[in-house]
Amino acid sequence: MYRSIIMIVLIAASAGAPAAEEMSTTKPACITNVAPSGELAPWVNPVPAKAGSEAANAPLLSVGKATSVTLLPTPDVHYALRPEKPGGSVSYGGLLALDVAQAGTYRIALNSAAWIDIVGKDGALRSVAHGHGPDCTGIRKMVDYVVPAGRYTLQISANGAAQITVLAVPMK
Amino acid sequence: MKRRGSLAALAVFALGATGIVSERVRAANNANATTARIELGRRLFYDADLSQDGTMACATCHEQRHGFADGNRTHPGVTNEAGRRNVPGLANVGEFSPLTSADPRLTTLEAQVSVPVLGTHPVEMGMAGREAEIARRLGRDACYRRMFAAAFPGTADPIGYANVVRAIAAFERTLASHGSAYDHDALSADARAGQETFRRDCAACHAGKNFTDLAFHRLGAIDPAAADQGLFEVTAHEEDRGKFRTPPLRNLSVTAPYWHDGSMPTARDAIARHGFVYPPETMRRLEVLLDALTDHDFLSNPAFALPATACGRQL
Repeated sequence: MYRSIIMIVLIAASAGAPAAEEMSTTKPACITNVAPSGELAPWVNPVPAKAGSEAANAPLLSVGKATSVTLLPTPDVHYALRPEKPGGSVSYGGLLALDVAQAGTYRIALNSAAWIDIVGKDGALRSVAHGHGPDCTGIRKMVDYVVPAGRYTLQISANGAAQITVLAVPMK
Repeated sequence: MKRRGSLAALAVFALGATGIVSERVRAANNANATTARIELGRRLFYDADLSQDGTMACATCHEQRHGFADGNRTHPGVTNEAGRRNVPGLANVGEFSPLTSADPRLTTLEAQVSVPVLGTHPVEMGMAGREAEIARRLGRDACYRRMFAAAFPGTADPIGYANVVRAIAAFERTLASHGSAYDHDALSADARAGQETFRRDCAACHAGKNFTDLAFHRLGAIDPAAADQGLFEVTAHEEDRGKFRTPPLRNLSVTAPYWHDGSMPTARDAIARHGFVYPPETMRRLEVLLDALTDHDFLSNPAFALPATACGRQL
């Protein structure tokens, strides 16, 4: 399985490409869920959290630990930076804090096609790759960023449901 | 008598002047309404409340930096149903009819808007049968109420699906792209050399200022087993199997992948798919020409971007 994860093609984003583009999905029918391995192994044991409505009250997203996040109705969210895909009034969103102790490439995995931005003191980071998760794992979308050490806000927008699973992992 | 005649002439003049003023007022009002309709359409184009769960706007797939295409083979809808066809760019879309790759019935932007919003083959924005819900969502916003009233003056209840469609179409008609090196007659020597090849091998179908004859063609033999039968799916005429409308080529460098199903990752792949085999230098010059069809101002024009404000407040 780990090998299959390595084989996943992450689409290298062109220079200046934004955070989180969505791709077509022609997925195989999944009879049972499959647990991802490697860096994504923590995906199967999410801990609960409630997203913040603004950066000041955003809870910390632990790196390497999957989190089942309860989002807010979009009109109740005050984003530090307006998302490129803000979502409609009937969608859901929220904010999480992200502490990066060691600079490197980090992957954000989601179980939905929500739009995400990692916002630091200089604005939103640009993604370097995006793609699908491994088949039948429940990971719908993955976005990679090169992240300098520091404190960031992970903005989630345009989610179709109040619940979303998020995992941030460093890539080797 | 003479005085009576002067008065009559004065009255006629006054009536004529009133008519002129009325005409000018009417024209000004129409211009204001048109401007308001475009502004409303732009906001709606970027509003995901036009989709079932608030996650997809027109702009979700039609991204400005991609010439209002989206950079993926196809795009799944709100129910995660896979898309069937590659998202087309919208440069100069107001000049096109028919509008989509395989449906000659879609001759107006107003008609085309409902394909993603209400369509079910595949489901994109998922609002079939929920047109009233769109109006309900938009009507909750006081700014939208003002924008609809300004865009459709004299209408008792302007917030409705029909006016949503009209406004989006009005905005889309503003998506003009005529600022490429090709338009400015600023082609490099390589691009001009590529233009010779293009004129000889491509321009019969990629014709005119938008590089499309707007006609439906098939490349290669009929394949009844192909998942997408193109024009045949509408006409049921055997000869229409596998026919698709010639795609326009403006902003081609930012609209990859190509083909009706997005199966050609690069322009070079798409050219080869036509059956052309060129020496490397000929291919390179042809690619230089195609790159020269990119209108960078169009890709960053703030008048086409996600609006930051509406009714004088930040969105």
